[in-house]
Amino acid sequence: MARYVFRRTIQALPIFFGISVIVFMVIHLAPGSPVDRFRVPRVSPAQIQRLIELYGLDKPILQQYVSWVTTFVQVWRPEAWGYSFLDGQPVLEKVVTRAPATLRLMGTALAVTVLLAIPVGVLAAVKQYSWTDKIITTFATVGYAIPSFLLGIYILFFGGVVLPQWTGGRFGFPLFGMESFGKQGDVLDLAWHLVLPVTSLAIQQISGWARFMRSSMLEVLHQDYVRTAKAKGLPRGRVLGKHALRNALIPVVTLLGLSIPGLLGGAAITETIFSYPGLGSMFVESVGSRDYPVVLALTMLGGFTVVFGNLLADILYGVVDPRIKY
Amino acid sequence: MERVELNREGLVLPATAPNVAADHEEIDRTPVRTYWQLARQRFVQHRLAVIALVVLVVLVALAYIVPLVTGPLFGRTNLAKIDAPATLEAPLGYDELGRNTAVRLMKATQTSLTIGFAAVLIIVGVGSLVGSIAGYMGGIVDNLLMRFVDIVLSLPVLFIILMIVALFGAGNVWVVIIAIGITGWTLAARLIRAEFLALREADFVQAARALGAGHRRIVLRHMLPAAMAPLVVAAALGVADSVITEAALSFLGFGISSPEASLGNMLTNAQEYFYSAPIRAVYPGLVLVLIVLCASFLGDGLRDALDPRQRIGK
Repeated sequence: MARYVFRRTIQALPIFFGISVIVFMVIHLAPGSPVDRFRVPRVSPAQIQRLIELYGLDKPILQQYVSWVTTFVQVWRPEAWGYSFLDGQPVLEKVVTRAPATLRLMGTALAVTVLLAIPVGVLAAVKQYSWTDKIITTFATVGYAIPSFLLGIYILFFGGVVLPQWTGGRFGFPLFGMESFGKQGDVLDLAWHLVLPVTSLAIQQISGWARFMRSSMLEVLHQDYVRTAKAKGLPRGRVLGKHALRNALIPVVTLLGLSIPGLLGGAAITETIFSYPGLGSMFVESVGSRDYPVVLALTMLGGFTVVFGNLLADILYGVVDPRIKY
Repeated sequence: MERVELNREGLVLPATAPNVAADHEEIDRTPVRTYWQLARQRFVQHRLAVIALVVLVVLVALAYIVPLVTGPLFGRTNLAKIDAPATLEAPLGYDELGRNTAVRLMKATQTSLTIGFAAVLIIVGVGSLVGSIAGYMGGIVDNLLMRFVDIVLSLPVLFIILMIVALFGAGNVWVVIIAIGITGWTLAARLIRAEFLALREADFVQAARALGAGHRRIVLRHMLPAAMAPLVVAAALGVADSVITEAALSFLGFGISSPEASLGNMLTNAQEYFYSAPIRAVYPGLVLVLIVLCASFLGDGLRDALDPRQRIGK
C-alpha cells in the first residue's frame, strides 16, 4: 500500500511539471508585460529598462521558467511566490491568511454533501420508481442543471433580501462577508455567514452525489449476494446496511477526490457572489487587476489541488475495495 | 453443368432440398432498417429527449430570428420607457435604461449559444484529432498524447479560462470561445481514442486496409463515422457546459460586457435591482437552465438512440 501511494505520488510529478509549463506559457504569451503598470509619465524609460533587468524579463524564456520554478518550490521561504503587485505583501503570506476561509467553505460544503446525498440516494434506490424516488430524481436532475453561480444569486436574493422582508427584518442571512464587524472569532457568527455560500456550493454537489449513490445502490441491490441475504431471512435493515450499502459506497468514495475540482471552481464563483474573503475571490480580484504573482500562485495551487484530488480518489479506492491489489 | 437457384437474399439454395417453398416462407420479411432509421426510432421513444429537442429548436430559432428582425433594438435605450411595464411589443417590459428586455434576452441567448456552438466545434475538432491520432497510431504516440491529455485534464479549468480571458482581452468573443475550447477537448479525445482502439482491428477496417485504402481514407471514411456516437453525445453536453462557462465569465465581468448582451451580464445587471425588480434576474436564469436541462436530456436520448445494442421497444 505504502509503495503504491509512493509510486502514484511520483507519477503525479510530471503532471505538476506539465501544469507549470502550461500556466507559465499562458502568462508569457499574453499581451502586455508585468512592468506595464509602471509605464506612467513620471517613470523614465531608463527606469523601466532597469526594472525589466531586475525582474529578469530580458532573459531567454527557458531561463525565466527555470528561475521561476526553482524559486516557486521553496515554500519554506516567505518570498518564494513573489510579492503581490497590489499591496507588496508576500504572496505566500496572503495565501496562507486566506486559505482557512476557503478550506472552511469547501470542507463544510463537502461534509453537508456527504451527510445529505448518501441517505437521499440510498432512499431513492431502495424505493425505486416510488413517488419518493421520482421526487428525489427530479430534484437531483434540476439541481444538477442549475449552474452554481445562478443558484448563488438566487440564494443570496432569497436569504438576504426576501427573508428579511417577509419577517420584517427580524430574520435574514448576511448578504456578504465572512464575519460581522466586532465579532471576529465568534464561531456562531462564522457559521451564520457560511449558511448561504455553503448552500449554493453544495446543491449541485448533492445532486450529483445523490444520483451517483442511487445508481450505485441499485446496481448492488440486483446482485446475487443481496438476494441470498434476503432469502436466508436476514432482517431488511441488515441486508441494506451491511450487504448492500457497504458495497455500494465503494465507487462513491472516489467522488471525494473527484469532486474537488468542481468545488474549487464553484468556490471561486460563490466567494465572489457572497464577497467571501477566501482564495477564490482573491483569484478573481487578482486576475482582474493583472496581479501576476498572485494569479500564478493560485493557479498552481489549483492544479495541485486537482492532482491531489485525483490521487486521493485512486488511493481511497484501493483502501475501501479489498479486491484491488497492487 | 449445375443449375443454381438463388433466393431473395441471393443465397445459393441446395437444389436437392425437398421443401424449398417452406423455407422460403420463413424468411424474415420485416423491412431492413438502416442504422439511422433505427436510431431515429429509438430516439422518438425517449419522450423527454423529444420534448427537449423541440424546446431547443424553438429557443435556437427565436434566438437567431428575433435579433435578425429587430436589428440594433437590443441595445437601444429610451429615456421615456425606463422601467416601463410589459406591452405587446415588449412582453417582458423595459429595463433601467429603457431597453426592451425580451429583445435583449433573445440577443443574449444568441450570443451565449453562438459561443457555446463555436466552443464545441473546437472541442470536437481538437478532441477527435488528438483522439484519432492516439487511437490509430497506438504505441509511443498514443502514450505521449495521453500523458498530455492527463496534464490538461489536471488543469484547474475555471482558473485557467479566467486567466486566459483576463490576460488576452476580456470582452473579446473569440478569446472566450478559444479559452473554453482549448481547455475542454480532453473528454472528446478520450472517447474517440477508446473507440479507435476497439475499431482498429475491426473486420471492416481490416477489409478497407486489405483493399489498399490509405491511412487518411481509413480514418476519415471508415473509422471516424463509426466512432461518431459518443462524440455526438459529448458535443450535446459540451454545448451546455460551454454556455454555463460563458455565462459565469460574463457574470464575473470577464466575458461579454454591456452594451453587448449575454445571459451572464444580464444576470450581473439584474443583481443591482434585487430590491426594485427582482424578476429581472429570473429571465436570463430561466433561459440558462432551460438550455442546460434540454441539452442534458437530448444527450441522454442520443446516447440511447445511437447505441446499436439498444433494443427498440414495441
